[in-house]
Amino acid sequence: MQGFFLGLSSGLTCVAYCTPVLVPYMLGEGKGIAHNFAALAQFLLGRLAGYLAFAFVAWLINLSVLERLESKGLLIGALYIIFSSFLMIYAFFKTDAPCAARSIGHIAGKIKASLLIPAMAGLLSGIAFCPPFLLAMTHAADKGSLSYSLFFFLMFFIGTSVFFIPMPFIGALRRFQALQIIGKMAAGIVGLYYLYAGIIAVVAGVKGI
Amino acid sequence: MKTDTHQVPQGEGKGRTIVLTLVMAVITVVMFSQGKMPQDPKEMIALVLTLLFANTLFFLLLYTGRTDRYRAIYFSTFAVSLIISFVSHMFEARGSMSLSETKILQCEVPFCHLVIPMTLVPMAITKTIIFPGSLLGKYASIASMFVIWIGATLALGRGFCSWVCFYGGLDDGFSRVLKRPVIRNINPKWIYLPFAVLLLVALTAAVYLSPVYCSWLCPFKAVTEFQAVTSTKILIQTIIFVGLFIGLVIVLPILTKKRTQCAFLCPFGAMQSLTNKINVFDVRIDKEKCVKCKRCIQVCPTLSMSEESLEQGCARITCMKCGKCIDNCPKGAISYHIKGTDIPGKRNAYRLLFLFAAFLFLAIFSSHIIQDGIVRVLKLITTGSMIS
Repeated sequence: MQGFFLGLSSGLTCVAYCTPVLVPYMLGEGKGIAHNFAALAQFLLGRLAGYLAFAFVAWLINLSVLERLESKGLLIGALYIIFSSFLMIYAFFKTDAPCAARSIGHIAGKIKASLLIPAMAGLLSGIAFCPPFLLAMTHAADKGSLSYSLFFFLMFFIGTSVFFIPMPFIGALRRFQALQIIGKMAAGIVGLYYLYAGIIAVVAGVKGI
Repeated sequence: MKTDTHQVPQGEGKGRTIVLTLVMAVITVVMFSQGKMPQDPKEMIALVLTLLFANTLFFLLLYTGRTDRYRAIYFSTFAVSLIISFVSHMFEARGSMSLSETKILQCEVPFCHLVIPMTLVPMAITKTIIFPGSLLGKYASIASMFVIWIGATLALGRGFCSWVCFYGGLDDGFSRVLKRPVIRNINPKWIYLPFAVLLLVALTAAVYLSPVYCSWLCPFKAVTEFQAVTSTKILIQTIIFVGLFIGLVIVLPILTKKRTQCAFLCPFGAMQSLTNKINVFDVRIDKEKCVKCKRCIQVCPTLSMSEESLEQGCARITCMKCGKCIDNCPKGAISYHIKGTDIPGKRNAYRLLFLFAAFLFLAIFSSHIIQDGIVRVLKLITTGSMIS
């Protein structure tokens, strides 16, 4: 469930960044709620494909690098501390985070919105090296098995996707600024959990040495 | 055209105040005594003192037209009494404030309203209450707290946090220690943090079927009960809640003159903010009278007043209806209001209706806790110990 919560806590922010990608498309097409749901489904499937690809990469990292290390716990703990610190800074003190969706949003603004293929936009927005994503990668790489890695990213995807459901009803997203702040802060609190997990892992790793 | 006439809220006339206080006195005598006079002299003294205290404050609320000043005295007394009463109960029942695994397994943990946001989703899904407390009959049972919460929420919305919550009086009290704040500029984005905490604790409680906020974050465990430290995990939890209590309930309220725990952490407060939408009372600003002096923005203890509020004529959703902005507005532009009616309309009538509901909740909910607190203090004076 940690993947779900990590995704859930950062989901509002994902929605905020993906809105510039999806909303122009939906408004540009102007074919009603049913069509908007179909576009959203394509977008989310693309996003899922992106996440699952990274689940595979996380497993490969574990197989090729982490498994050969003697102080794996120490390294993973240190990564947790670093990425959770990034996450908290991003959540509580910074306004922007690196997210591919933003770049796609800029491109979407320049070209004709209806030309965007939602699935491709979803796939590209899934490649987002934001702090929650980096934490998810670390967590998946830590656990080692391909099935766990895929399941973790699947849950991460479900968590981030919950907030996309109202998107076809675009009118319901008026209070977006507040939702974005709440989402980022929720991600920051999840960062606190990972900081705790990182400290525990580092302490255990140091004791192991 | 605006005039410079000083229009601070006016109280009721003397005769009218006396009549209204008599009505409150009759209600409080019946409710506080529950229809029987106590035989123990200490309990009798406590009952009389509590009645005098409550009705004097109600008289002053009406007669002076000042809300926050007298509310805060009652509210903070309630919080201090709770600590005295609760801790004494814990020492009588268990011999300490710490909670053992056995007591948790026996479902003997007193329930408090802060747990409610975490119980709702699991209750809807599994039809169980994820808290190791007793449903009925025992001290601080779950059913009684739910009944009080539903009633107070319908009547007051987030007014609960300034009139009913038995913890709120602590940071409210500490926020009044200094005359001027040491820290002035607080980023208003922090008012969203309780909503983020609410989102996470409600969902984690639903998935793990455990009140996560109680285990990890609740600062009030420092003055009520806490788990006995038997592992590194519980030690870390203890450091967190003690740190949050010292920081958010004592130090920051003193330095900022804001209710920092209520405004920037409490998930229950965030949930109550949402209930403000369905509550009949709100705080409104008469834009014709407002001269934008921003005094209300400075004094609001929860950052619920902003320049946007002045433009829109209403407080933010997080408003606790404490009345501080109303008391401090030099033009009398801010008032309690009933949704759907004119502004300013019958402002004194609206205030009276709100005060009757809010004060009754405060008085009735706090009566036995304050009485017990007084009895404990009398015991301490006469026997040297608060516990039997």
